[in-house]
Amino acid sequence: MDENLKKRILIIEDDEYLRDLYMEILTAEGFMVDQAVDGEEGYQAVTRGGYDLVLLDIMLPKKDGIAILRDLAQNPPEGKNKVIVVLSNLGQESVIAEAVKLGARGYMIKSEMTPEQTVNEVKRYLAEST
Amino acid sequence: MDVTNIPQTPDTLAALWKIQKIIFNTLDFEQVVQKIVDSIAIELDFLKLGYRIIVLALVDEKEGVMKRISMSQTPAAEATMGAGKMTFDQIVIPLTAENNLCIRSYKDKEPKVVLDWKDILTPPMTEEEARRLQTISGVKNSIVFPVLDGELCIGVMIFSLEKDVSEMSEDEKNLIQSFTDIVSLAIHDANLYSNLKSTSKKLDEANKKLKELDKLKDEFVSLASHELRTPMTAVKSYTWLVLNNKSGEITPKTREHLEKVYNSTERLIHLVNEMLDISRIEGGRVQLKLEALDLVQLAREVKDEFAPRASEQNLVMEIETDGKISPAAGDRDKIHQVLVNLVGNSFKFTQSGGRVSISVRLKDNMVEVGIEDTGIGIAKEDQERIFQKFGRVEGSLVISKIGGTGLGLYLSKQYIEMHGGKIWFESEPGKGSTFTFSLPLYTGN
Repeated sequence: MDENLKKRILIIEDDEYLRDLYMEILTAEGFMVDQAVDGEEGYQAVTRGGYDLVLLDIMLPKKDGIAILRDLAQNPPEGKNKVIVVLSNLGQESVIAEAVKLGARGYMIKSEMTPEQTVNEVKRYLAEST
Repeated sequence: MDVTNIPQTPDTLAALWKIQKIIFNTLDFEQVVQKIVDSIAIELDFLKLGYRIIVLALVDEKEGVMKRISMSQTPAAEATMGAGKMTFDQIVIPLTAENNLCIRSYKDKEPKVVLDWKDILTPPMTEEEARRLQTISGVKNSIVFPVLDGELCIGVMIFSLEKDVSEMSEDEKNLIQSFTDIVSLAIHDANLYSNLKSTSKKLDEANKKLKELDKLKDEFVSLASHELRTPMTAVKSYTWLVLNNKSGEITPKTREHLEKVYNSTERLIHLVNEMLDISRIEGGRVQLKLEALDLVQLAREVKDEFAPRASEQNLVMEIETDGKISPAAGDRDKIHQVLVNLVGNSFKFTQSGGRVSISVRLKDNMVEVGIEDTGIGIAKEDQERIFQKFGRVEGSLVISKIGGTGLGLYLSKQYIEMHGGKIWFESEPGKGSTFTFSLPLYTGN
């Protein structure tokens, strides 16, 4: 728990209920969690950088997740983020492949996960990055 | 065609043969009708019989007219049309114009000799115009032959001569008749072909539109499934939180109810996933990632995944295999999906105390995987529909035991067949079922 307090996570998620859900289950674990409600807000936050983990949705208002990954790959921010993981309900293999090619560490399908599994995956990605 | 009437000289035979060749080498209607008149003109010129213009006119029954279709590209023909006030395709004769010898020949199915062009060009032309053109063309007489397609007359051929019809020999008349017979054959075939071509073109267009629609459908299903999954994820996740006492203690009755909400949401998500898979398969957008697949290992993984359910339902799970099994050529994710589906079905239909076993064997250069259960089995009348979309078993007692969507077996069949394998089952109601699928061995290619 003490270690978790130092970890910063950014959630880019447009669905209010799911945003609340991830906020709730991750802050309950002691993480510092920021949130962005659309692609532009998410891109701004992510370019400021400094996150241990970014949970990125793909279908987003204003700027989609793939475009965010592409822009980040072209102009890497100074305060780098350690890990970006896609958390989306879009399960097309082509989209997954594109996201991974553009630098996403992993890809989670929201509807396939219980809150417990999501938390465990987040912890696993954070452990990998340290 | 009656060959016995053809003048038996090498030249005329050669001429006939050449014209027949056109029929076999050309199938497009427009081309055939032009080639017919041109080649007949060339052949007749070669025979030095004094023919100036050859015209083909066909009947359009729907419009009740006879239309000029093609005219030989001979100098006389070009000069005549150049001087005329009407274009060639404007020369349309109503079938009611009984005085016109083209129409008479068509109706009587007999050749007609034309001394004066007013008899073939009015209507639509005036008598003066018809005669003026005849003078320009240098044609003395014309002869009109009916083009017969079996018993049916489909039009006429007009042969215009620089000589008097009385100078035509019987042989020459027979030759012309033979040409006309071939013409009807050619037109018959070309018409069939052109119809076929236009039908095929229409089919191509329809097919293109269907492909576009299919793409739209695929995009729609993708987006719809995403949109559906988002609220379903919220329902599933918040229900999970309540069930796991994250919002405080709940009563046993609340738990029971919420477990039903949770399971139903899982079923909904599963259904959406399967519909998306089917949309992709049917759109031809699934590509297998074949690898050397150890099916015994995969069976063990699936057994582990089902272990909690096995103890919950009090079922025994086993894996049977004889010796070392060579790897199959399979897409891990797809075959895993098939195994989970088949084992899941066995779990659904097998009562407490029963057994589900997975066997992996080599047979006829294929790896065969069997999933056997001691469940309720499949009624005879339902066995035929089992692999159909939504073709799930229906029966008074059986239906209440079946969850699922009826898409799983259909999907499994599609995936196995994409691998070049087969899937089948044996079942005895009351005793159990065995579903078996086969996959080709991995050869490294």
